[in-house]
Amino acid sequence: MKITCVIPAYNEEKNIVKVINNVRPFVNEIIVIDDGSKDNTFEAARSTGAIAVRHIINRDQGAALRTGTQLALDRDADIIIHFDADDQFQATDIPEMIKPLLENKADAVLGSRFLTKKSNLPKVKEYVIMPLARFINLLFFNIRLSDPQSGFRALSRQSALDLKIENDGKAHCSEIIYKLFKNKNRVIEVPITVIYHHYGQKLSGGFQIIKDIIIQKLIN
Amino acid sequence: MFQQILALIVVAFFLLRLFGQKNKKQINGNEFLLWLIFWLLALGAVIFIKQIDKLVAWLGFSGTAINILVYLTVLALIYQVFRMRLTIAKMEKNISTLNQALTLKK
Repeated sequence: MKITCVIPAYNEEKNIVKVINNVRPFVNEIIVIDDGSKDNTFEAARSTGAIAVRHIINRDQGAALRTGTQLALDRDADIIIHFDADDQFQATDIPEMIKPLLENKADAVLGSRFLTKKSNLPKVKEYVIMPLARFINLLFFNIRLSDPQSGFRALSRQSALDLKIENDGKAHCSEIIYKLFKNKNRVIEVPITVIYHHYGQKLSGGFQIIKDIIIQKLIN
Repeated sequence: MFQQILALIVVAFFLLRLFGQKNKKQINGNEFLLWLIFWLLALGAVIFIKQIDKLVAWLGFSGTAINILVYLTVLALIYQVFRMRLTIAKMEKNISTLNQALTLKK
């Protein structure tokens, strides 16, 4: 079983080496997609021995994940993990994330910040943004998940092959969840811990996601 | 009357500009035709404003012709913005596809 971790990175030269070194013990291969960073993210990632490729222009996280997932599939990955480069996810959660895939109990595993493990989530996110996102998931997609916007996920090869990420921006997260269910994957959530160093996506970002989803629907 | 003359001057200015652009080959035939029709319709609306007033009243609208023209123009502009947003989204998608192909080709 080849386990590949895909890490999209944009201007993360300060964190990327640490993240790669933390992830390395738990996977067979690490692919870093430098999404047109203005700093030395690409060089820093490459210096660790990880596979690093570079978008010549910045296309946002969804596009970087699409490139990374495709590269992982081309390199015969059996399990693909999506992991953030900002050092907020805990690499020690990876074994629990991939366990259901290894035991063939799931096709896709989504990390959840709202199960047994505790994350230091900002209050507005926990009590306003996330409930709203859960409601949107339920309303538009009829999907009930404890964490509606987790970027930490593990996919079987087949579910990654079936998954065609089309949103370049932050809407990819909702899109992936929707398509995993639409493709009839066995999806389960696993508790993860996220340690916030910065606020991340704001409420305005949520409205941008809704707008992106609608536009994507119209152009397809 | 003064407003009508002012509007006619504005339309005439844009029509002259349009023919100038066509002569300098800054726009293609289809674009020229589209804008020509648009400005001729505007010209017609300005000249026949009273007749349009009557038509609007006959159709049962309470506003004057100029009100209705403004509303229609706003609607047309909103539609154009929407179409442009979709075109940009398609272009963005194509750029991302090219970007990915270039990245994976290296």
